[in-house]
Amino acid sequence: MSYKMKSSRRDFLKLSGAIGATAIGASLVRPFFEATAQTSTLPYMQQWISTICLMCPGGCGILVRTINGRAVKIDGNPLHPVNTGKVCPKANAALQVLYDPDRLRGPMVQKGERGSDGWEAISWDEATQLVAERLADIRVNPGPQAMAFMSGRVRGQMGGLIDRFMAAYGSPNHIRHDSLSIDGERIGNELTFGHREQLAYDWDNCNYVLSFGRAFLEASRPTVRQIRGFSAMRRDRPNRRAKFVQIDTRFSITAAKADEWVPIRTGTDGALALGIAHILIAEELYDRRFVSEHTHGFEDWTDENGVAHEGFRSMVMREYHPVQVESITGVSADTIIRLAREFANAQPGVACGGRGAVMQTNGVFNWMAIQALNALVGSIEVPGGVLVQNRPPYSPWPDLPADPVADAGLAMTRFDGAGTRAYPLAHSVYQDLPERILAGEPYPLGALFIYYTNPLFSSPDVKRFYEAIQKVPFVVSFSPFLDDSSAYADLILPDHSFLERLQDDEIEPSLGYAVLGLRQPVVAPLFDTRDTGDVLIQIARAMGGSMEAAFPWSDFSQVIQSRLSGLWAFESGSIRSTNFSHFWDELISQSVWSDAPYAFGQWGRVFNTASGKFEFFSQKLYEKLDELRGEQTWGEWLSELGIDASGDMAFMPHYESPRHIGGASEYPFFLNTYKLMTHAEGRGANTPWLQEKLGMHIKKSWDAWVEINPRVAERLGIEDDDWVWIESPIGKIKLRAVLYPGARPDTLNIPFEQGHKHYGRWAKERGENPNWVVANESDQLAGIAAWFSTRVKIYKA
Amino acid sequence: MNKDDKEAVLFKPVEKTGRGFYLVVAGLVLILAWAAYAYSRQIVVGLDVTGLNRPVYWGLYITNFVFFIGISHAGTLVSAILRVFGAEWRRPITRAAEAITVFALVLGTGNIMIDMGRPDRLLNIIRYGRFQSPLVWDVTSLTVYLTASLTYLYLPLIPDLAILRDRPGLSPWRRWLYTKLSIGWQGTEEQKHRLERLIGIMAVLIIPIAVSVHTVVSWVFAMTVQPMWHSTIFGPYFVIGAIFSGIATLIIVMVILRRAFNLYAYITDEHFSNLGLLLMIFAFLWAYFTFSEYLTEFYGNEPAGMRVLFAKLVEEFSLMFWAMWLFNFILPFILLSNRRTRTVTGTVFTSILVNVGMWLERYNIVVPTLTRPRLPSPITSYTPTWVEWSVLVGSFAVFAMLYVLFSKLFPIVSIWEVREGEEIAAGGVVAGHHAEVGAD
Amino acid sequence: MPHWGMVIDLDRCVACQACSAACRAENNVSFAGPEETALGRAIYWQEVLAEVDGEYPNVRGTFIPRPCMHCENPPCVRVCPVGATYQNEEGLVLQRYERCIGCRYCMVACPYAVRYFNWRAPEWAEGMERYQNPDVPIRPKGVVEKCTFCTHRLPVPACNQACPGNARFFGDLEDPDSVVSQLARSPRAFRLLEDLGTEPKVYYLREGA
Ligand SMILES: Nc1nc2c(c(=O)[nH]1)N[C@H]1C(S)=C(S)[C@@H](COP(=O)(O)OP(=O)(O)OC[C@H]3O[C@@H](n4cnc5c(=O)[nH]c(N)nc54)[C@H](O)[C@@H]3O)O[C@H]1N2
Ligand SMILES: Nc1nc2c(c(=O)[nH]1)N[C@H]1C(S)=C(S)[C@@H](COP(=O)(O)OP(=O)(O)OC[C@H]3O[C@@H](n4cnc5c(=O)[nH]c(N)nc54)[C@H](O)[C@@H]3O)O[C@H]1N2
Ligand code: SF4
Ligand code: SF4
Ligand code: SF4
Ligand code: SF4
Ligand code: SF4
Ligand SMILES: [Mo]
Repeated sequence: MSYKMKSSRRDFLKLSGAIGATAIGASLVRPFFEATAQTSTLPYMQQWISTICLMCPGGCGILVRTINGRAVKIDGNPLHPVNTGKVCPKANAALQVLYDPDRLRGPMVQKGERGSDGWEAISWDEATQLVAERLADIRVNPGPQAMAFMSGRVRGQMGGLIDRFMAAYGSPNHIRHDSLSIDGERIGNELTFGHREQLAYDWDNCNYVLSFGRAFLEASRPTVRQIRGFSAMRRDRPNRRAKFVQIDTRFSITAAKADEWVPIRTGTDGALALGIAHILIAEELYDRRFVSEHTHGFEDWTDENGVAHEGFRSMVMREYHPVQVESITGVSADTIIRLAREFANAQPGVACGGRGAVMQTNGVFNWMAIQALNALVGSIEVPGGVLVQNRPPYSPWPDLPADPVADAGLAMTRFDGAGTRAYPLAHSVYQDLPERILAGEPYPLGALFIYYTNPLFSSPDVKRFYEAIQKVPFVVSFSPFLDDSSAYADLILPDHSFLERLQDDEIEPSLGYAVLGLRQPVVAPLFDTRDTGDVLIQIARAMGGSMEAAFPWSDFSQVIQSRLSGLWAFESGSIRSTNFSHFWDELISQSVWSDAPYAFGQWGRVFNTASGKFEFFSQKLYEKLDELRGEQTWGEWLSELGIDASGDMAFMPHYESPRHIGGASEYPFFLNTYKLMTHAEGRGANTPWLQEKLGMHIKKSWDAWVEINPRVAERLGIEDDDWVWIESPIGKIKLRAVLYPGARPDTLNIPFEQGHKHYGRWAKERGENPNWVVANESDQLAGIAAWFSTRVKIYKA
Repeated sequence: MNKDDKEAVLFKPVEKTGRGFYLVVAGLVLILAWAAYAYSRQIVVGLDVTGLNRPVYWGLYITNFVFFIGISHAGTLVSAILRVFGAEWRRPITRAAEAITVFALVLGTGNIMIDMGRPDRLLNIIRYGRFQSPLVWDVTSLTVYLTASLTYLYLPLIPDLAILRDRPGLSPWRRWLYTKLSIGWQGTEEQKHRLERLIGIMAVLIIPIAVSVHTVVSWVFAMTVQPMWHSTIFGPYFVIGAIFSGIATLIIVMVILRRAFNLYAYITDEHFSNLGLLLMIFAFLWAYFTFSEYLTEFYGNEPAGMRVLFAKLVEEFSLMFWAMWLFNFILPFILLSNRRTRTVTGTVFTSILVNVGMWLERYNIVVPTLTRPRLPSPITSYTPTWVEWSVLVGSFAVFAMLYVLFSKLFPIVSIWEVREGEEIAAGGVVAGHHAEVGAD
Repeated sequence: MPHWGMVIDLDRCVACQACSAACRAENNVSFAGPEETALGRAIYWQEVLAEVDGEYPNVRGTFIPRPCMHCENPPCVRVCPVGATYQNEEGLVLQRYERCIGCRYCMVACPYAVRYFNWRAPEWAEGMERYQNPDVPIRPKGVVEKCTFCTHRLPVPACNQACPGNARFFGDLEDPDSVVSQLARSPRAFRLLEDLGTEPKVYYLREGA
């Protein structure tokens, strides 16, 4: 099929020659009408180049179609086991990330005030030199610990590279965004499974899913893998259609597509899970063999010192009768009993969760309670159940050169308090930085590096970061965009976009076996940008001494190759070769390496706990807290951590009442901020394609909004599309109201996506960011941000 | 009053150009310039400058199209019917009515061209025209109608052109114009005979053509499966509406002409009274059709149709909908059924109401259906923009301008027909074939 | 001669809109921007229709991905005055962009509202014209466009290729053994507005067991 204008135009003129005047008229107006070209008739050079998507952390393999060196279309890579040739809507929007007209053209230095337009171009050499000098100064005074590195999407070796950079420099302060994200899940897994990572699930063979606040079909991860799994468990098996139950405070797309939506009172998922556990135990529906062979602390027990401990069974039977749970969760006892029976009878099935259940003040315990359900029904390490993800066999990093300056710095406590008595189980407490920067506690910061994260947008009570960043003497951003945070930097060293760089990507594939993706440039860099991995190596080398010695590679690609040589040496998996360079070529052409299929029954690997079992009673938790307890009694210490439970219960999955900011009488609503499929983390707002179909479920786009229950709105005199204020104890924002039957009467829902102060023409000043009203509340045990803890009120603007 | 004095007023607008004329023309030119600017925005930017959207693909322009085509029925249909039935009081108004037809048709087709995304491809309709498309039926019947009504306007003009040609003191170009256009009319019996026959034939022919035109216009809508368009009575319903608004327009035009050109001797109060009655009859017919249309829809209770119906009855179109009833039926009925209000002023006032009401009716047919698509849609409303309103105002200005120019060039009252009528009335020497018939 | 048809399984579909995004990228549909979108000028050859209704806690969400139905008996083709929209031998309902006069009659006639008009000349932000697909013509201002069933890349439409739910199937309805023919005979199969007699060639499979 071709639409050739030429011939028809000639015919047209021939015909209109007969009707002279009209023809002239027509040709006069023609310029107004035909400005655009038709199908190109020129021959073109087409290539499909495989790489890894990074619109979200899902890690899908993609094939990018290029025409004469331009990227024009993105499909899934069929060889990639996570997405098997499929993509979500965010993938194609990557074209608009790559070709965003507001991308930074090259490195820039702020010559005016912080946050002003006083940007000036600077050469890469000058910039690298500048950073190296500043870092060298700080290292001497006030000391290497004064440098903090905030990171977000550190994929593949990038996290390790930053860790190494910081270790060589001597700072303990690589602060990852995980405490905003999903750390509660990882920490909960550490306490029960002994693995501080996300679990895998054998979705395709599953019969029943209890999803606690996991936006299974619109966010979560790996997104495409989960969607494929959802489709498979519904319809791939003749006569066996799984049941999917979404437990959520909001009627999300996942809730809509699920077979049942269980609307739950916010922060009470732990209680619901334990109520279900109660029935499983009371009705003897649990897997006795599994529980006795593979769990620790189910029955009452005595430790090696002869101290008697209460078991999980007794505790659950005493505390979580469905009637009791109904009063906590608002889910009827009947429903609880029914769900428990269905879950037990439909095995294999899994209980899983997401940020809604875990990013709460009681999140770690909620997660433990959810996983306790899998342990009770024995749905671990079986087909259709929970798997513990294997990781790729990298070659180790070489040792760091000895450096007393670095050692001294590394011996300091972490700036964010992670791992201290403030946050015993935390590895990063991203959201706590502002207070500490402003107070100069535990020590003043001299420099802040920001990579692939946007604290001035994504953090709770985000206003604090605006004040704090002004107090840091030297701020460097690596973003390819002038985002909210970069706008306040002194120096921007723009990274390549992810379609222009080489980077491995360790994927949490939810397949059990290890999968490693390799991202490669699909087009030549459009601008004078540099891969941040390369830049860090260049800075280290410019600093000389032990920093230079710690980075014996000429560029980041060498780092990746040296780490990935382990996969080659492993001699298993989808790519095997006698020599590394051939292995590497294959990896480049396929963009993915995956290990042999999952082997079940590796119990020794699955449970990495002290008992070698799933721990209902977490010895890890007990030991960690005991270690930091000091002279305090347990009672004092636990209450300092905000834990109400006492005795053995405190170390088992149990329900803690969630804390909330704002009194219920003044602020009658809970605030829920959620993710949409069309939201590509904070960084998707600059892609018009995603903006344009953002809120498909309520026919909204290019804006933010607040969803409110129609009955409640009527009572408050709020109509659809009215402007309303959402006010919390820390601030207020103005949004359009959407009357949404899927909103609980006690909850207001605002999507997380809009309200950027910067970040390009399409994101800037569009809608509002809920983080101006979300208060900064954290779970003290794990240092995770409690995103759903803010109470708000709503009134007409 | 002496006959020549009386007739002088008929020649005056053609022969004497006063300040009023220039003022009116200047005002119209201003409006037209504005409308042309508005349309030029549309040419440059595209239909984006309108309030049209998906799913409201059609709006004001199509409303105007239907409305003007409706008005065009004033004209020819009224004068043809009256001619065929030999209604004597028609004589002074037929020309005015026929002119309305031609000008309204120009505007109707103009509006549909304005609505086109690619007016530069207009000729594609000839080049690739498909007779399966009701739009092509429309183009065809409109072309026929335009040709027929131009002829029908022209034929009775010939004797008058000759009269003008023969008047003294004409500027040379006018004399040239009238000479050419009067194609050698000498007023011989033979010529008169032929002319009357032609007019007679045209009068009979034009009635079905006019009916067909508006039927086909209605079919553009009725041939789709869209709710509240897909109706079998749409043909007659549209025709009734067309004649209804046609009569109203005629009344308005008549009163303006009578005032502007001092035609009191020719356009009498009785004319208004008669047309007023006719208007009332059509108000009843219109109400009857509308009522059956809506009752059927309501009673059938088909969901897609009900959504449109409710949009009109109680939702965003309700104001327009009930205003339409008020203007098209309730007020006309009250005003025209009462002798004391069926005065010239009352009748003209009613006619204005009816024209507004009929425009609303057309809008109420075109837009609400499109705002209620069967499948969910993010957009369900339509607000015309300044460009569309400008084009609407401009359309009326074009209409007025054509009328002003026409009445400047040609007698707006058919002089020879009036003379003939007076002769009949006087029972004097009867010219034309009546006498011959009598003599046989 | 194959007769192309599509099947969309609503039980597998997760309303993700990957189909819509892939379609836009493949078929050179630019974005409309905030103002134009609010005015109803955004173009989606494949749009996910959404309706959430009911009263808390009994809420229902219906999501229907909607390409052109490529009706066997297409009202749009019937009304087009110039044959700018036509049905080819393979049953596809296609557009001749260079012939269309922009009367939008086909749009008002299509009961599925799948047709889109170029209210203005399509715009690509500076530099974004670089991702245009050379296989698909750019439509000028003032003409109508819609889903072509990806006629330039038969038999794998871009929407189906992307679909992470594996919810979309494409193939020859003439062939009784094709996957689409088999699925179209499923007891879960239905078509949109079937009673209008348009004979759509897009079949849906009902949600639920
Ligand atoms: N499309 C898309 N996918 C993504 C991302 C993205 O930005 N866009 N981001 C990725 C990242 S970084 C992450 S961390 C994951 C996060 O993915 P998820 O862990 O699924 O987290 P959220 O998407 O934040 O969804 C939280 C859900 O919990 C619900 N919820 C809120 N409060 C409660 C509660 O008290 N109880 C229960 N049961 N539910 C509650 C919310 O309504 C919402 O549906 O998604 C990843 N995938
Ligand atoms: N209210 C509310 N807040 C939330 C959430 C929520 O659900 N509700 N979700 C939370 C979650 S789960 C997370 S993970 C965080 C995410 O929040 P962040 O960690 O802030 O991550 P992003 O906003 O996705 O991206 C950060 C920045 O990376 C930059 N960037 C984009 N591409 C590149 C690149 O190629 N290279 C480099 N170097 N930089 C790039 C962009 O400038 C972007 O601003 O937000 C959290 N905040
Ligand atoms: S799920 Fe994430 S990684 Fe996969 S295609 Fe979508 S955006 Fe890319
Ligand atoms: S769905 Fe609409 S556009 Fe497509 S073939 Fe049917 S009538 Fe025509
Ligand atoms: S808009 Fe184009 S395709 Fe549609 S009916 Fe008119 S000419 Fe035909
Ligand atoms: S078949 Fe092609 S044109 Fe049609 S909706 Fe799918 S991707 Fe778009
Ligand atoms: S891509 Fe597939 S799963 Fe997603 S909305 Fe479209 S049809 Fe449904
Ligand atoms: Mo996250």
